[in-house]
Amino acid sequence: MPLPTQTALERQYSLLGLMLIAPTVMVFCAVIVYPLISAIYLSLFQIYTPTLQGSWVGLDNYKVLLAKGEFWTSLKNNLIWTVGTLTLQIVFGVLMALVLHQNIWFRSLARSLILFPYFISTVVAVLVWRWLFNDLYGIMNHLMMMAGLIDFPIDYLGSMPNAMISVILVGAWKYFPFVVIAVLARLQTIPDALYEAARIDGAGPIARFFDVTLPQLRDVLVVIIMLRAIWDFKEFDLIFLLTGGGPVIATQTLPLLVYKEAFALNQMGMAAAYAVVMMAIMLVFMIVYIRRTRDKDA
Amino acid sequence: MIRRILFNLMAWGIVLAVAFPLFWMLVTSVKPQFELFRRPPTMLPETVTFEHYWRLISQTNFLTYFRNSVVLSLSTTFVVVGIATLGAYSLVRFRYRGRESLAFLVLFTYLLPSVVLIIPLYLMLVSLGLSNTIFSLVIAYTTFALPYALWLLRSFMAGIPEDLESAALVDGASRLGAFKDVILPQLLPGIISTALFTFILSWNEYLYALVLVNSDSARPLTTGVMNMLISSFNIEWSLLMAASVMMSVPLIIVFAFLQSYLTRGFGAGGVKG
Amino acid sequence: MINKFGLTRRGALQGMAATAALSSLPVRAFAQDVTLRWWSPQAAPAQLEAYRFQIAQFEAMHPGFRVVFETTSDEGYAPQLAAAFSSGEVPDIVTHLPSFAVQSYYANGLIEPLNDVIEAIGIDDFYPGANNVFRAADGNYCATGIGNSAANMLWVRHDLMREAGVDKIPETWDELRAACQSMQTGGIFGAPLPYGRNSMTSLIFIGFIHQAGGHVFTPDLEVDIDNEGTRNALEFYKAMRELCPPGATNYSWGDSLTAFVSGATATGIYTGRVLANVRDQNPGIADEITCATYPRISTDVSPWTFNDFASVFIPAQSRNIEAAKMFAAFLFEPEGYIKQLHAAPGHVLPLLQSINNNPMYQDNDIIRKYSDEVELMSQSAANGFNLGYESAEHTSNEKAGEVINAGPIADLVQRVVLNDENVDTVLGETATAIEAIMRG
Repeated sequence: MPLPTQTALERQYSLLGLMLIAPTVMVFCAVIVYPLISAIYLSLFQIYTPTLQGSWVGLDNYKVLLAKGEFWTSLKNNLIWTVGTLTLQIVFGVLMALVLHQNIWFRSLARSLILFPYFISTVVAVLVWRWLFNDLYGIMNHLMMMAGLIDFPIDYLGSMPNAMISVILVGAWKYFPFVVIAVLARLQTIPDALYEAARIDGAGPIARFFDVTLPQLRDVLVVIIMLRAIWDFKEFDLIFLLTGGGPVIATQTLPLLVYKEAFALNQMGMAAAYAVVMMAIMLVFMIVYIRRTRDKDA
Repeated sequence: MIRRILFNLMAWGIVLAVAFPLFWMLVTSVKPQFELFRRPPTMLPETVTFEHYWRLISQTNFLTYFRNSVVLSLSTTFVVVGIATLGAYSLVRFRYRGRESLAFLVLFTYLLPSVVLIIPLYLMLVSLGLSNTIFSLVIAYTTFALPYALWLLRSFMAGIPEDLESAALVDGASRLGAFKDVILPQLLPGIISTALFTFILSWNEYLYALVLVNSDSARPLTTGVMNMLISSFNIEWSLLMAASVMMSVPLIIVFAFLQSYLTRGFGAGGVKG
Repeated sequence: MINKFGLTRRGALQGMAATAALSSLPVRAFAQDVTLRWWSPQAAPAQLEAYRFQIAQFEAMHPGFRVVFETTSDEGYAPQLAAAFSSGEVPDIVTHLPSFAVQSYYANGLIEPLNDVIEAIGIDDFYPGANNVFRAADGNYCATGIGNSAANMLWVRHDLMREAGVDKIPETWDELRAACQSMQTGGIFGAPLPYGRNSMTSLIFIGFIHQAGGHVFTPDLEVDIDNEGTRNALEFYKAMRELCPPGATNYSWGDSLTAFVSGATATGIYTGRVLANVRDQNPGIADEITCATYPRISTDVSPWTFNDFASVFIPAQSRNIEAAKMFAAFLFEPEGYIKQLHAAPGHVLPLLQSINNNPMYQDNDIIRKYSDEVELMSQSAANGFNLGYESAEHTSNEKAGEVINAGPIADLVQRVVLNDENVDTVLGETATAIEAIMRG
């Protein structure tokens, strides 16, 4: 709040501050706010995608959508996928960060190899996994048959629950390095003195993890969980390229449903309505999450 | 001692398991066609051939796509990090009306799914006369890269002690002078780290590239490779794997060198909400 | 070339013919350099080479014109064209999209009628009825065909049949199943039928419905998928599941093709693309392969060949419609057209009788080696149908593209075959879903 007693220097500073933020605000308005408003506006129409011609239907799109089983199935899938892959990412990411924080052989190389899945394109990741999963020439089936785990090739991507499990696993594989990076960075800043003190108090390695490491990691985990949750919730490329939502709609999440409405059914208005609902759901989750984590801080 | 060896073996076991797809990608890319469809698959190639790489470079548009991807990712990174650094500085170190709500808006923009923004964005780009250019993708990529970069840099910025800047101001430096001489050097690890993340995001993007660009002169690797090698009449697995290797190896080399920055940068500022 | 083009097709397309005849003079109507953007999803390296040849020839004949070829894909064309149409930044000519996609665009006023191009090419030269599938509700032709394909041919291998004691190529479903059963041994599966959630599954299964004497729509386009034929087709398709590779639940065209070519399945279901791929990837079986129309429920039902009727169309928003039409007609000039067909021998089959009889077309290793097969495919394709045009009695279906892309029929297959859901319920729901799309 600018007060009447503000000095000339302060006023000059806030002006400079506004100038520095101006490019950001302009870009935001152009590439995010404008499309967002158009999306909300489009959701009130019935629109043929290629012409963008349509007629006003008000909130009808929303009524249709909420009454449709497909919406609820996709939402359910979306939640299963997000919770599943996020949990794996966090658990495996933290564990791996702890391992890589130790002084293991060729640590640098090990770190690079672990970070590798995160660097490669989703397209590459999907291609490689589809090749690994291939029913006839894929190495996964071959290795598992050699190990005696299965007698007959498994259909990884085309039947349930395999498809959902595969998608979740590939998602976890692709994105857990992000957690490793952040946690590893934080681990390096935990003062050794804390561990020393815990050791003097007689805490074993497991107790030290829960009493010292985890509280120190709390802040970073709160943030990572939120970031990854948002990204996973709106993930499109990975699922679309891996299963396309199949079998039937068993792995179809909301972004895929939006894509299908917009470009396969050419119903842009309906697609926009799905997207708006999807954003609303994420917003609710986010606000609840932020509230919860803030409360604990207080 | 034995525990140490066991721990190392276990750790490397996991590392190798995670990296196995990389290994398999490499192996597949040097197998000749006929060996590719051998059942059961051969673990190590019986005959090593580099013909797929050669075909990719000499007979396809791979190099054009590669160049496009490099230009695209570098420009996106440059633009986004530039704007975000100024923005983050402003958000953290200045006081003015609406600052808090702006910060919340940044977080909110994360929530937007790309599928929704595509058509309005595309119409806007066309009216600007930018359709089918690399630049149009740079603009599109800022939709997801800018909020992220801004948010990352904001937390880095918050980690720099305010005293440093005040000291410079007392010594008579201007606000921007202090920014250049004091803040930027301190922020450097954060900037590098943010730049890397932005680069990864833009290098890997698929959906915008699929819809917004349909000309080989502007198409990046992700859609280019898919378009070129997966069609209804053939899936060129060996070429796909060779392309995957070539798409990934440069990144891996770069990141192997910058890896310490990635983690150090993240830690120095401490990721704070 | 120039003279021939001008002479044989003058009159029909006055603007065009005049330009062609006067092409040695500076072209007034196109004083500025004109750049035509050409999109196609068919872009294998050999095809690209043929396109480059056609473009170079066209540019040489018409100074001031440039043609830029841009690849789209079977999965990607819908969003790309949607973006293009909505912005007005359209390609000037699009080739090789299936006919049913085109009808939907035409119905929304996005496409220029091509009557004059068809006349310019020579309406009598087309196989009789070849353009029926492009006849729109208003009587105009919304596109013309650039090639036929017989997409659901049954491919078999003599060597495997001999080993398994199968003495004749199956004609009925029972024979097919028996043959697949006896040929499915030691890692070789019977057939690569698609059970994926994709357009191939929809398109192939529509073939099965017709091969059982059923249909999806009545001739006046009422949804009527719940019929005896569909039920029999579902039952048979389900019975075939155990004779297909486990990953068939995700198969699309590429996977299905590769499965047969690499020798992983004893039979195949595809176009003549098999021929070139066998030559390149598995020459060992080249002398053993042959094809037939896909088996039916009984010999009383006539074969039903799926032809996606690869099209040529011109978006109405193109700023160079006349030039695009000229180029469209030029694509059928024998030398370049034959190069294009040879780039995928047996896969894209000619629509023009003069081309089929042209010795230059017959002069190709694969077409010579497999002349019987190519002839059979040409015949079948010329009498083929698809969902946009289910039978000669059907009016053309503008919404067929949406029905295929949204995939209710693939969902039907997956729910009944993979999920074992109740056929009555699923058929009812599928009918509702298709009706919703038709009302759309």
